[in-house]
Amino acid sequence: MADVLTLTTRRMIIPAVALLTALAGCGGSVTSGESGGGGGGGQRADANAKVYERLGALTGPQRRAQMIAEAKKDGQLTLYTSLTDDVAGAVVKEFTRQTGVKVNLFRGGSETVLQRVLQESDARRIRNDVVETNFLEMATLAQRGVLAKFQGPALGNVEKTGRFDAWTATRFNIMLPAWNTNLIRPGDEPRSWEDLAGPRFKGKLTMELSDNDWYANVTKYWLAHGKTQAQVDQLWKQIVGNAKVVKGHTVMGQLLAAGQTGVDAMNYTYLVQKDIDSGAPVAFRSDDGIAHTPAFPRPNGVGMMKDAPHPAAAILFYDWMLTDGQRALVDEGLTPSTKVPGDKSLNGITLVPYDVRGLVANEKSWAQRYDALLRGVQRAGGGG
Amino acid sequence: MLDVRIARLPTARLGQALRHLLSWRTVIVAGCVLVVGFLAVVPLYHLVRDTFTGEQGFTLGAFARAYGGDSQSAAMLRNSLVFAVGAGLLALVLGTALAYIQVRTDTPFKGLFFAASLVPLIIPAILYAAAWIFLADPEIGLVNSALESIIGVRPLNVFSVWGMIWVQGLHLAPIAFLLMVAAFRAMDPSLEESALMSGASWARTLRRITVPLLRPALVSAVLLMFVQSLESFEVPGLLGLQNGIYVFTSRIYFVLRSFPIDYGMAGAYALGLLAIAAAGVLLSGRLSGDARGFQTISGKAFRPRPIELGRARPFVGAAVLAYFAITVVLPIGVLVYTSLLGFYTAPSMAALRSMSLDNYREALNLPIAVTALKNSVLLGVGSATAVMFLAAVVSWVIVRTRAPGRRLLDILAFSPIVIPGLVLGLALAFVYLRSPLPIYGTLWILLISYSTRYLPYGMRYASAAMTQLSAELEESAHVCGASWWQTFRRVLLPLTSGGIVAGWIYILVVSFRELSSSILLYSPGKEVLSVLIWEQFENGRFTLLAAIGVLMVTILVGLVLVAYRIGAGVGLKTDD
Repeated sequence: MADVLTLTTRRMIIPAVALLTALAGCGGSVTSGESGGGGGGGQRADANAKVYERLGALTGPQRRAQMIAEAKKDGQLTLYTSLTDDVAGAVVKEFTRQTGVKVNLFRGGSETVLQRVLQESDARRIRNDVVETNFLEMATLAQRGVLAKFQGPALGNVEKTGRFDAWTATRFNIMLPAWNTNLIRPGDEPRSWEDLAGPRFKGKLTMELSDNDWYANVTKYWLAHGKTQAQVDQLWKQIVGNAKVVKGHTVMGQLLAAGQTGVDAMNYTYLVQKDIDSGAPVAFRSDDGIAHTPAFPRPNGVGMMKDAPHPAAAILFYDWMLTDGQRALVDEGLTPSTKVPGDKSLNGITLVPYDVRGLVANEKSWAQRYDALLRGVQRAGGGG
Repeated sequence: MLDVRIARLPTARLGQALRHLLSWRTVIVAGCVLVVGFLAVVPLYHLVRDTFTGEQGFTLGAFARAYGGDSQSAAMLRNSLVFAVGAGLLALVLGTALAYIQVRTDTPFKGLFFAASLVPLIIPAILYAAAWIFLADPEIGLVNSALESIIGVRPLNVFSVWGMIWVQGLHLAPIAFLLMVAAFRAMDPSLEESALMSGASWARTLRRITVPLLRPALVSAVLLMFVQSLESFEVPGLLGLQNGIYVFTSRIYFVLRSFPIDYGMAGAYALGLLAIAAAGVLLSGRLSGDARGFQTISGKAFRPRPIELGRARPFVGAAVLAYFAITVVLPIGVLVYTSLLGFYTAPSMAALRSMSLDNYREALNLPIAVTALKNSVLLGVGSATAVMFLAAVVSWVIVRTRAPGRRLLDILAFSPIVIPGLVLGLALAFVYLRSPLPIYGTLWILLISYSTRYLPYGMRYASAAMTQLSAELEESAHVCGASWWQTFRRVLLPLTSGGIVAGWIYILVVSFRELSSSILLYSPGKEVLSVLIWEQFENGRFTLLAAIGVLMVTILVGLVLVAYRIGAGVGLKTDD
């Protein structure tokens, strides 16, 4: 019977495979997003540009009122963001409460948000109005020309270092060392990035697998403050010699709280603060309430799409994120990009510039160097 | 020329040919082959294209970037192989031994097998690995502390190759268990009994009768577990890196994380894995080449009869209890303990006093929890059913017919296992953003993604079961006048149901964990549980995550229990 059965099957499979190959690859590049141009200029872009210009030029109380009136006509807003879900939820809730505009929320890692926007824009099926994510992805979107320029007095609240061509910083992730207060006695904690290289942290340090932007910033900071390349290389070698490597800042924070490691070479202060709030024996400030290590603020920002389906809602959200929305971020323990009364997230912290431009231009080479540095752990015979 | 021939045919012959062409068998088989092919080819095509296309057309540069320079790929490949072989072997031995005890003996505690076979599968690997850190860390590990108070040393170190193999092996053992239970049930024990009666020793019977008869299932299990260990990164990422043990997939992880993403390089790695996987599929095809040798379900009736363990019964029972304690009670215990705290800390009076149900309250009140659970159940049941149906038909084509290209089809259907979830997600988004069908932005695209990802598993489960089935049963049905569809529905599906149900359960359970393509393809209102879990990871809420993990185990064990009950209702064999 098997032979009888083969007759039709035999004729089917090979042509079928050929047909499928043809079907699957209906041209274009799927992943790089380099085809199709991507950028704005879709059918909606021209009409949207007029809306953005008209509403952006308004000032005073009329500005917000007019934006809200038109956004309500749009009916809804679609936001793609890498804000964590509790913060995103709070921000969206507050926005809807204040403006009456319903929000569709998509959350993903910053790379996911970027890929999604690029894919939809290449296919000319733009579904989001605004995007809020990490600087590197925002800069890429700006380069690809999918973001519209925003104007308005709210920009004046943001420091110059947080203003870019087609996007604006909304918040900062603060990078500092963190330690377990049961394992590291007061006075022994790291008080500078150089301290991480000290012999007292041998085997007590943990680094994260993908922290290449931190690596880039510390390196540049040292070079700018009088160290030679050889000295910098030596410091990194010692730090890596002290360290073990782990994947993910959350797990890293939890292992720190559990006492599995004594010091996180770098963790984000808002994550560590959550553990502190739940009573974990961890800290990023010394007993005097001061974080003695200079901190790098990594910007995250907001941008609006040239081809947004709901342009009035888009510009309203942008405007709101730089004004009333900042309060919502502070209430969730984040560091805002403008001065907000009652914000304690930066107390005792000294900020030094975070090199946005350098990383946008050379992220890949820093990633490769960091990767090679960490794998040097292996060559040195293991640090754990 | 074809036209001429058709024109010459008498009308009656033409009608007959058409009827034949449009018969149920042709339509269903062709349909399933096309769907499976399409599912597999879409991501594979994009992977290959990205790998071999550079700015100036065709290039092999991606391979140079991936494997050359200071990539240390040789050392990483070595680590990967040791890890994958070790974990695969451990899982195979554990899973097979458990399956044997479950199906073939009158062991006590049979109910525990059910939990032992599912729970490690349900817990996301990252939680399972973290639980083992809390158990077997050299400094803070609870098991180490307990052992220290007894034997004076802290012998365990989870941050070693052995630790990685241990955790991954335990996590994988359910794959082998589910496959082997189905295989043992489909095997006539009288063959072994005859060998024993004829004077063969127990070991000789095992070597000469049992293992050869189980070869299709064994090979399938090894293939799945080996390739899955090669391409997974949770366990190596959490346990290996701490001691500088880098594996092959740490490269893929690195490539997909750095910007701009070098898809060619990621593809070059994935194709390396595909070469290994394809070799495995071909080898398994050759090993099961003489299909008759494994056909244990034939026209002759048999009833698996449990072996009486006699004096060994208490010892086997104790071993089962120990296994259950190690793979289920310990890690779940740690997760339950963690889920009651604000942050993980070693057990103490202070920790006990701080315990509360806050994390559970919060998990149940997460705004998208209900939506996510509903969508995950829909997708899990949907993709498990779709995949197992497709796999049953296509594995019939591969095992039963001599159609040319069937090995290629087998490899194609296995290829999604090596495709990084992100690449799969991008390929699907690319295709369906340009399709007029309303698929992008709906649950359908997730269903397609899950069906693609779990196709290799479904195929292995189905073809292992199909290989054990003798063709004479189908022939009898055919002789009695049954149509192909009737035969398929009334003979093939029921007799392979052990393997099909095992595959179905496997896919249902693991689909709840699928993240890497879900995260790219879900849309507002279409969230799934894995996205919810990922969000809590991003949030730094480890203890909340533990609570979600515990809830997931509870829900899925409940779901599968119901499935088993329904299965028992339609006549599936059970051993209890």
